[in-house]
Amino acid sequence: MRVNGVDRKTEIKDNELLLDIIRDKIGVKSVKAGCWRGECGLCTVLLDGKPVKSCLVLAVEADGKDVKTAEGLAAEGQLAPIQKLFVEKAAMQCGFCTPSFVLTAHYLLQVRPNPTEEEIKDYLGGHICRCGTYKQMIEAILECAKLNTQRK
Amino acid sequence: MSFGSPYLTLPDFQYIKPKSLQEALRLLDEYKDEAKILAGGVGLFAFMKERLIAPQYVLDIKGITELQALRDDGAKGLTIGAAVTLNTILEFEALKERYKALRDCIYLLSDPVIRNRSTLMGDLCEALPYVDSPTPLLIFDAEVEAASVKGTRRIPVTEFIRGVAEIALEPNELAVAVHLKAPPENSRSLFFKHTSNGEFSVTNVAALCANSSKPEDRTVRFACGAIAATPTRVREVEELFKRRAPIPQLIDEAVKTIKKSVEPMMDILATAEYRSHMLEVLSIKAFRELLAS
Repeated sequence: MRVNGVDRKTEIKDNELLLDIIRDKIGVKSVKAGCWRGECGLCTVLLDGKPVKSCLVLAVEADGKDVKTAEGLAAEGQLAPIQKLFVEKAAMQCGFCTPSFVLTAHYLLQVRPNPTEEEIKDYLGGHICRCGTYKQMIEAILECAKLNTQRK
Repeated sequence: MSFGSPYLTLPDFQYIKPKSLQEALRLLDEYKDEAKILAGGVGLFAFMKERLIAPQYVLDIKGITELQALRDDGAKGLTIGAAVTLNTILEFEALKERYKALRDCIYLLSDPVIRNRSTLMGDLCEALPYVDSPTPLLIFDAEVEAASVKGTRRIPVTEFIRGVAEIALEPNELAVAVHLKAPPENSRSLFFKHTSNGEFSVTNVAALCANSSKPEDRTVRFACGAIAATPTRVREVEELFKRRAPIPQLIDEAVKTIKKSVEPMMDILATAEYRSHMLEVLSIKAFRELLAS
């Protein structure tokens, strides 16, 4: 399994979840365990580029695949634009859910470089932020889309 | 990390990823009820974490090319393989207009992240009353293609769902694809649902209409689900709409016929009266929208 660009090898059992392996054996802690039943979205990772909830994926299913987490977005210690904007817009309070929102926002901007507010709300529908900083997150994503377009 | 609670971990099993359909069918023939099929895993893992099921073998069908089929054969209909994810189906061009009832249903099935894993066949095979996908499939006369080492057969969705969590698959059979018949030319279709707590449907309806302005050529189809143990296609209303009469009168009669033909159930989500009322509300909304133009 390739985690954030680094090949990782670990022994797993057939019934182990990707979530538990990433956190406990690989040691990537930005992937949070919330509900273990696919409702909260906090365990989201990009599996071969697409967001999935890792509590609903077997570790063995990710064998040989590419896994990306919020750490992987910050190449060489530099925060990605969407991460910077989450900080600038204070799009978090306790921060527990933030890595998962950042990942899904990152993916959304890849497939839809200019999302509408409705599309953003729709796409973040699989995640829960109990502090309720949705408004700031939407602002951060809209701003990031704007900056991306200007850069081009 | 787990706290040892049955809700967080999966029971022990052996994971097998067959490379071909033949291999999967052979394994299924050998293991029968001891094996469960994994595609999206959304339902399977939920049931396994709750210890409602504990299969000895889990067969991951995502490596089988045939099951990734997603084909629009024009007048011959639409084929959706068992391992195609809901997001892939949503992006499929044919769904946007001609099979819109199915599209609307899938869009409301789960959130966008879950839809990267979950499949239409998985939803259908759960066969719980609040599962939505059978209802739109009924108005497209859909059939489930089931395969075993002995060969394949097609089962209409009406017969596929037998009761609560009961489907017409033999233990050695694998549901490989859903086949939808092409809707009539120039038809429009839609799907509405009403949920309890925003998640589980307590009533859903799917309807289709072609040539709405000419009574003699008019085709109307209607199905409803989440109301009783199994979804229902209400064929009585389909004839009714061919009559020459003012639309509001026809809708009024249709809703009465629909309410007579299904017996709403009561469960933890809603009372029978509530379901009956929502069925009326959603049917009227569906017919008005389809027959207005």
